[in-house]
Amino acid sequence: MTGKSRKTVQVIILLAILMLGVYAIVTVVMGKEGVPKEGDQVPGFKLLGSDGAVHTLDDFDGQAKVINFWGTYCEPCVREMPALQEQWLKWKDQGVEVIGINVGEDKMTVENFAQKMGVEFPVLMDPNRDAVSDFRVGPMPTTFFVDSSGRIHHIRIGQLDLETLDKQIEQLVNGS
Amino acid sequence: MSLIDFSSDAFIVAFFLYCLAFTFYGVAVMGRRFRKREPEAHTAKWGKIAFYTAVIGLIAQLTYFVTRWIWSGHVPVSNMYEFMTFLSMAIMIAFIVLYILYRKSLLGLFALPLAILIMAYAAVFPQEVQPLIPSLKSYWLGIHVTMAALGDAFFAVGFVAGLMHLLRTVNFGSSDKSSRREQRWLEFCMFMIVVLIGFIVSVYSFRAGGYHAEFSQMKWNEETQQEQVVTVDYDMPPIVAPYDSQAISVQSFIGMQDSFFEAPSWMHGINAARKLNTVLWSVFSGLILYGLLRAIIRRPLAKMIQPALGRMDPDDLDEISYRAIAIGFPIFTLGGLIFAMIWAEVAWGRFWGWDPKEIWALITWLFYSVYLHLRLSRGWQGKHSSWLTVIGFIVVMFTLVGVNLIIAGLHSYAGTD
Amino acid sequence: MSEELKGLIVNTKCECGHQNPVGTVLCEACGKPLADEAASQDILEMRYDGVARRSQKENPGVIDLVWNFFSSVKVAIYLIIMTTIGSMLGSIYPQESTFLNIDPSVYYKEEYGQLGHIYYLLGLSHTYTSWWFVLLLVMIGASLVICSLDRVLPLYKALSRQRVPKHMSFLTRQRVTLQTDVNNEGTAWVDRITPLIRKKGYRVRTDGGTLLAEKQRFSRWGPYVLHIGLIVFLLAVLARGLPGLHMDTHMGFQEGEPKQIPDTSYYLENDGFTVQFYSEEDLPDEFKGKGKVLPEKFETQAILYECEANCDLGQEPELKEVMRHQIEVNHPLNYNGLKAYQFDYDLTPTIISVSPTLVHADSGEEFGQFTLNIRNPERTYEVGPYTMTLKEKYSDFGLNAEGKPSNMSSSQNAPAFLFLIQGPDLPEDGVQYFYFPKQIDKERFQQDALNKQLGGGELRFNLEVGSMEDVELSQSTTYLNIRIDKAMPFVWVGAGIGMLGLVLGFYFQHRRIWLRVDDGKLTLGAHTNKNWFGLRKEISSILKQMDLEVDEKSLVNNGGSQE
Repeated sequence: MTGKSRKTVQVIILLAILMLGVYAIVTVVMGKEGVPKEGDQVPGFKLLGSDGAVHTLDDFDGQAKVINFWGTYCEPCVREMPALQEQWLKWKDQGVEVIGINVGEDKMTVENFAQKMGVEFPVLMDPNRDAVSDFRVGPMPTTFFVDSSGRIHHIRIGQLDLETLDKQIEQLVNGS
Repeated sequence: MSLIDFSSDAFIVAFFLYCLAFTFYGVAVMGRRFRKREPEAHTAKWGKIAFYTAVIGLIAQLTYFVTRWIWSGHVPVSNMYEFMTFLSMAIMIAFIVLYILYRKSLLGLFALPLAILIMAYAAVFPQEVQPLIPSLKSYWLGIHVTMAALGDAFFAVGFVAGLMHLLRTVNFGSSDKSSRREQRWLEFCMFMIVVLIGFIVSVYSFRAGGYHAEFSQMKWNEETQQEQVVTVDYDMPPIVAPYDSQAISVQSFIGMQDSFFEAPSWMHGINAARKLNTVLWSVFSGLILYGLLRAIIRRPLAKMIQPALGRMDPDDLDEISYRAIAIGFPIFTLGGLIFAMIWAEVAWGRFWGWDPKEIWALITWLFYSVYLHLRLSRGWQGKHSSWLTVIGFIVVMFTLVGVNLIIAGLHSYAGTD
Repeated sequence: MSEELKGLIVNTKCECGHQNPVGTVLCEACGKPLADEAASQDILEMRYDGVARRSQKENPGVIDLVWNFFSSVKVAIYLIIMTTIGSMLGSIYPQESTFLNIDPSVYYKEEYGQLGHIYYLLGLSHTYTSWWFVLLLVMIGASLVICSLDRVLPLYKALSRQRVPKHMSFLTRQRVTLQTDVNNEGTAWVDRITPLIRKKGYRVRTDGGTLLAEKQRFSRWGPYVLHIGLIVFLLAVLARGLPGLHMDTHMGFQEGEPKQIPDTSYYLENDGFTVQFYSEEDLPDEFKGKGKVLPEKFETQAILYECEANCDLGQEPELKEVMRHQIEVNHPLNYNGLKAYQFDYDLTPTIISVSPTLVHADSGEEFGQFTLNIRNPERTYEVGPYTMTLKEKYSDFGLNAEGKPSNMSSSQNAPAFLFLIQGPDLPEDGVQYFYFPKQIDKERFQQDALNKQLGGGELRFNLEVGSMEDVELSQSTTYLNIRIDKAMPFVWVGAGIGMLGLVLGFYFQHRRIWLRVDDGKLTLGAHTNKNWFGLRKEISSILKQMDLEVDEKSLVNNGGSQE
């Protein structure tokens, strides 16, 4: 082997090790902190909606999203529903979608509830808590504010009032 | 007589045969001093007698093993008593393999007491046959544990030869700095062995005396999320009581009515204070024992033993030590790591889970791979390498015993408390 | 080796005329010690047969420096030691991953005090997924590759072109050596000893009055085979993290209800779960009389289905049975790499459906029976002359802070149904009726009193369940750990290769004997990579057959110095 080809082999091997090393460290460190943070890309989902159709994250492509995890058994969730509905009406024409993800309950419970509360924004159902584990949702309500490019702008844990919600959506739309 | 009683008897027979074999080794070495004529022949003859006695002892122990297996229906390596017993048997097997390879019968003078000590330690634990929980019901239990123990046994024999090498080569005549350091550390090893004997002596003495003490302690129960009163039983007089505890009953022992102090709050593992108490008693009785020995022989133990090894070639000892480890390393890799991974994959669906026992098996493996690299690539032979075998043995024993005592994990089934 | 380098090399030409590369310790051709090695009087350093490592060269650049770093055994040893210490640190307290639901920032402080908190702050509570631990493993991997490459290729070359005649000092400075008079002509003596050595399994080559005997050379490749195995192992472990190759999830399965395994087209059904406990007399003494139970065996009769059509969410899937297996601890289900392990179980029964009969509260007159699926009920039921419309349904009924009926959780603890009954003799907008299928809830929430109140002070109807046949129960829930691990076979292949390497390296020994007879004087040198004792014994027994009594011990080369 000549000196030159030997050097090439060395460089290739070292590069391969470097790439594998970086990959190993990145995956293991990311894997542990798989909790979505502000600034991260929002996790995908594929869930049945209360309208009977299957919805995925891609269906809301290009829109700013307010993703709210809730349940009828969670009182603060119930209390913030009117605010979400109101903001949905206010912003839906400006490219903002409010998506409610119900955690663990069945279709009829969700339908009854939506009817009673006058909820019109799309509600998806997560009976097996798949989305909950992907989003690493702990206590509820938890609301993810996602900008039109799919980046998480803000994560809110706890009840939202009308004003904060409005302010958050405004920031989301104005991209500040 | 039921099979299980026969099995226990075979165990006791094996124990006494080993003790007898050890005595014969003693005769082989000590006797040469009194026989002026043909000391070589004397050593060879008694060495042979001792070796065959040890072999018969091993047959007795194998009888124990097989009959217990038949009686209980599973390979008897499922709790601490059974495991330690098996380890002592494996050490005997490893010793015999190396004897066949090198024909150095004197190796037995040191391998036997190790096997005897481990057998005595085994008998500290409850000896009844215990039913298996579902996760242990696998033929991998037998394969993994026996192979790993056999690998460890070769490491133990490597340690025995390494220690003999050190006893043979450390220069007691010299008083320069490095020699003195070696002398001190070697004597410390001797002391630790005496402490181990002290532990066994104190356990059996207090057990024979039927000693008992009881404490009540407030404990936080993680499952019920409540404070709970638990009783802690002591089988040795309490030098140290559990943290935040009240004495229920304490038998008097030479005027000792109550504990001297309480364990610190961070020692709140299961029975942590009792374990600390046992350690204190072991060190205490070890110190007395060691003091007595020193008072009688009037020089360091290591220095007293050295002449007994005078006829052995240090290079041979070094090679035996290395060879034992070279034989043990692949066995340990297969039994302690690969079979362990296969079983873990079958039982829990993950071949590796960073369980403390797994971690320490890996540490043992990494340690001996360092030993091998240092020896093969960097020329660490002789004393350097012998010291490593001593440290290696400590790592092995920590993996087998220390992890169960101090860090509990999936392997806590082994019946330690 | 490179031509251009030759110009730079100053002093590596051996007296036998062979040109050696930089870093050569023993002449590649005749074995004469070179440079520093020649000056010393000790036993020759025979590792890698004295050839130059590939990486050794003058004026190294950056690439060479990095390469040399990983090529050093010393560095490798330090890496292993650091990994060992790191592993030890990680075993002090339980790792975060052993707990399912904890907040490590408070847990370690609460459970282990200040020390535990420091442990957490140092990041040791996730040692094995920390960047530095993985970095150490990566560096060990790099060291495995580069160390091996640098040594195995030159070693291979050196061993495959060995020359028979060796320099005198090469022989006399082996660890096993002998010089003695044989009073015999060289070639004849060598011819006589050759078959004796062959009998011991050696391959023998002769060259006039010189001889080279060698056996089990393959043992030399053992360490490198082990290293290859370890690299395969590490790469396989790394590959497990690739998307799609790995899944690990825990799922609960109620009896009789196929459930989809996420991200696959497979459904698994629990077709019955059984558990056996040890009887009191079988229990160990420490458990006796404490009311503890110890399971002897638990198993799930599992049926695995594959979805054939209508597989999308919200549709009724068409399932085809592909496998049946009794899942037990240590006996997982395995279907083309999809594995289901018995993990846990729950013996609380849950109601799947009830078939109550609508009766008149006073007369007991039966109007009709219907089947109510607890999870997926219908909106309306026609029962005799009456229409029952389901207005509300609860899975875990209770009253919220405002005193209104509400779900307390999403679990099926206390199912409750609010019906609107319409029909003959009833007010136009019907009467409301609360139904609690579980007896315990009926009493807890006073079903009759509640319905009396809803009926304006009159209890008109009752929903009654005649016998247990009208209740469909799931006796238990089994929890399975569902796993897919497509990289696993490579993990085992790596472990297997490594094991093969260990066996080659440790249970076989590469032995070589060189000898030359000069003017009736025999000079012998021998080398092995382990078990010198055995080598000496072998040589001694061969020489004995040549009528040379040589004590095994006298073959040891003391280098003229120690002992």
